[in-house]
Amino acid sequence: MATETLAPAAPRNLSEGGVPPGRISDRVFRVITLAAGLLVLVILGLIVVETAGQARSWLSAEGLGTIFSSNWDPAHHHFGALALIVGTLEVAFLALLIAVPVSVGLALFVTEVAPRPLRRYFVYAIDLLAAVPSVVFGLWAIHVLLQPLADVYSSISSATAGIPLLDTLFGSPSRSGQAVMTAGIVVGIMITPIVTAITREVFATCPASQKEAALALGATRWEMIRGSIFPHSRSGVVSAVMIGFGRAVGETIAVALVVGSNQRLSAHLFGTGDTMASIIVNEFGDATGTWRSALIGLGLVLLLLTVVIGIVARSVLGRAERRLAAVT
Amino acid sequence: MSTVTAPATTSLLQSRPASRGRRLRNHLATGLIIGSMAVTLVPLVFLVIFVVGRGGHVFGWHFLSTDIPILDREMGGGMKAAVVGTLLITGGATAMAVPLGVLGAVYLNEYGKQSRLARFIRFLSEVMTGVPSIVMGLFIYILWTLHFKSFSGFAGSLALACLMLPIVIRTSEEMLRLVPDELREGSYALGSRKVRTIRTVVLPHAAPGVISGALLAVARAAGETAPLLFVIGIVTDTNSNLFHGPSTALSAQIYKNAISPFVGAQDRAYGAALTLILLVFVFTALARVVTTVYARRTTAAV
Amino acid sequence: MILRTRLLRRAMVPVLALGLAATASVGLASASTGQKGQPKVGAATLNGSGSTLTAAFLQAVIAQFKTAQPNVTVNYSGGGSGKGRTDFSNGVVQFAGTDAPYAAGAAPSKPFDYIPTIVSPVTLSYNVSGLKNLQLTADTIAGIFQGQIKTWNAPEIQNDNPKAKLPSTTITIARRSDSSGTTQNFTSYLASASTKWTLTPAGGSATVNWPASSVGGNGSTAVATNVKNTDGAIGYIDYSDAKAAGLKFASVKNASGKFIAPSLASATQALVGVQQNPDETYNPLNTKNKAGYPITSPTYLLVASTQSDAAVGNAVKAFLTYIEDNSTKLAAAVDYAPIPASFQKNALSAIAKIQVG
Repeated sequence: MATETLAPAAPRNLSEGGVPPGRISDRVFRVITLAAGLLVLVILGLIVVETAGQARSWLSAEGLGTIFSSNWDPAHHHFGALALIVGTLEVAFLALLIAVPVSVGLALFVTEVAPRPLRRYFVYAIDLLAAVPSVVFGLWAIHVLLQPLADVYSSISSATAGIPLLDTLFGSPSRSGQAVMTAGIVVGIMITPIVTAITREVFATCPASQKEAALALGATRWEMIRGSIFPHSRSGVVSAVMIGFGRAVGETIAVALVVGSNQRLSAHLFGTGDTMASIIVNEFGDATGTWRSALIGLGLVLLLLTVVIGIVARSVLGRAERRLAAVT
Repeated sequence: MSTVTAPATTSLLQSRPASRGRRLRNHLATGLIIGSMAVTLVPLVFLVIFVVGRGGHVFGWHFLSTDIPILDREMGGGMKAAVVGTLLITGGATAMAVPLGVLGAVYLNEYGKQSRLARFIRFLSEVMTGVPSIVMGLFIYILWTLHFKSFSGFAGSLALACLMLPIVIRTSEEMLRLVPDELREGSYALGSRKVRTIRTVVLPHAAPGVISGALLAVARAAGETAPLLFVIGIVTDTNSNLFHGPSTALSAQIYKNAISPFVGAQDRAYGAALTLILLVFVFTALARVVTTVYARRTTAAV
Repeated sequence: MILRTRLLRRAMVPVLALGLAATASVGLASASTGQKGQPKVGAATLNGSGSTLTAAFLQAVIAQFKTAQPNVTVNYSGGGSGKGRTDFSNGVVQFAGTDAPYAAGAAPSKPFDYIPTIVSPVTLSYNVSGLKNLQLTADTIAGIFQGQIKTWNAPEIQNDNPKAKLPSTTITIARRSDSSGTTQNFTSYLASASTKWTLTPAGGSATVNWPASSVGGNGSTAVATNVKNTDGAIGYIDYSDAKAAGLKFASVKNASGKFIAPSLASATQALVGVQQNPDETYNPLNTKNKAGYPITSPTYLLVASTQSDAAVGNAVKAFLTYIEDNSTKLAAAVDYAPIPASFQKNALSAIAKIQVG
């Protein structure tokens, strides 16, 4: 007679095939977290879809060619974006020109030059700079930078008058101090912390053995930096620069306050100009119909630009990390 | 015995002093490096001193609790509506972004790991952190403000939450990744399911880092201006209702007053700027304190 | 016991009905308007945006209105006439300030009114060290703002100011970067008063393709800031903001050949003889009145003629009535000039015709 032992109602050990409680809650939780993760996908997708949808009347009214014309004139229903795209790039490049050397130097300072116990405090100070809101930078720039810069622009402009390339770059200085250059300086100060942070991390991953080897061979500190750190960090620094560029392109408030709102294509760096983000802030409240569609279209261009820069920056950084992982 | 001189060995052990040119370049480089540090710190110190100086003489409890004068050109007054607005709007955004962000990070690190979907989400989060805040503002304006035909603080919260979400996901995921697998495996070995493990082992261990990351995201959101400009209305009346009626915020008020020629408005702008800087600095410092405590705890535990 | 409850319930109905009727009648009574000492209106929030030219006046009104109607919260966030018109069309605000009517075909489909409130002279404020009592003709102003006249010692400006010593400072044009009713009225004046003006057609334009040597400010106060901070700047700013910012203004030659300085008196003079259109808009620009300032800007409040929300509708009517009843008093305190009594009467009758509920 085969005695059948019924499975007892009491929980069994795991080794006897028992199942710990909570299987359903596990599944539910997994779904919840998946939904939360997908939210990013949904939001970004919605942003692209909505902005593209609203920008459609601009794209169809103007046609792709005229969009890249330099005539932005809402009164006559012309919405050519070229001047704004160029203005954005001008400000971003000027910002990088200022931020990159300073950031590299600052990163080197914190990783190599500063006395070891003090390094932490310099990092805190840089983080504080990163924390200052854009609008406070703009407020400060208006009352502190504009006047002195106006004088600087006047002097440089009169000094370079007549010299072929320079007088185009430095001609027609803005007497109020509001200029493409001013925006470039302010944005440069603002992106320095982020570029420094990434550069610092990249420098810090340089293997100590390589640095010590250089020093042991009699290199000065600068030669060690040039010979060991720089070659090792090249792609990382490129990535940091691209991330800084992305930030500079998207900077809105500080630029709107100091750039002068002039939507004409010009190479005068000391003259007023405008950027995509700044014109959206200034004109969006008033705009209807095709004008509003054009401004949203500019927002779409800005979005695509920053997304592309972000993708490229990440892939460069990813390649650098993989190379490092292969070497160490 | 004659003393043995070994010139060959000493010249190998002795380092040859660098030539003057190399030493000069080294000093020049060091000078530039220190110079770049000065160039960075000078605007920061200058800015803080300037804001403290011009904002200091209006700042105080009275400033924070007095209404914004309806007339722009009036002297005196305070920023009560803006303080309330910033706290409510940023608070609302935090309440939405932090839980969702942490849950998303949990998915990425605990469930998705290296699957294609998880990698795609991770990649998109990274990309989304670079999206300009003005685009978020436009997005919420189209989707929410035009649809409901009214300004509200909540719309501002939505815009800020969209901004904070990718930051919280990224920082939380990094913190979760730092939790050693041994802890998880120990919990599984004792019979816990995944949910319980996450709840009782992983999250508590990663909590300080997650909190620190969240605080940094809050600090960033509190200072944002562009996303709020079109959707909250910027008024002078204090509105304690996040969901109904227009509101204002410190950042928006600073923007509005920055271009004003009236001394009263400028004073209030500096007072608001000082308030905002203090708020942001406090959160940033708090984040750092939490991180330090966390680091000390993990090194002590090891 | 059940009987008692049923009786109680039966009795409740008429009592409740009476109570409701009483409350309703009290509500109706408090919603009635048209009297100077108005009864209190129920709680409501009114949001408005638009013209920055009239912002200071509206802000002063709102501050006083709080004491007259403590249940009503009014918010006015400015942003420029263009924003006001756009927000009003989109239904995001209950009233909007605009210095110029909607362009043909741009008006919203819902029925609305233009309610005139006050007038403000648009000054040509300037910041040139050592220069006082500047005089300008329309042609010179056109030349300056088109970027053709580049320095302060240009012959055209010297002609307008034969006795003045003019420096060689570069002229910086300070203008609006947002869609502005002030810009529209200013350019409308130039189009009608000067044959040299080509940047906008007749009737002016809210946004203009200004010359590259100009600097844009968002709102009247921003233009005032730009003029104040830049040596050699000249900009068009409403009288109230320019005066409060401490700027100097130029006297402008009007259509009868006299140089008139902007002031409340000269603005009132510009209104003499001006006729209202059927929709209550009017045009006091380029006046021929001998003592009238030629760049006097009208301003209106946009309001929907049918209000679906009773509380909001009553509050809007109370607010607008308050403005018309008290504008003469309140305007002078913040440097605005009142509209003629006949305009006010027309406005009050339009307000009374607003349908609520």
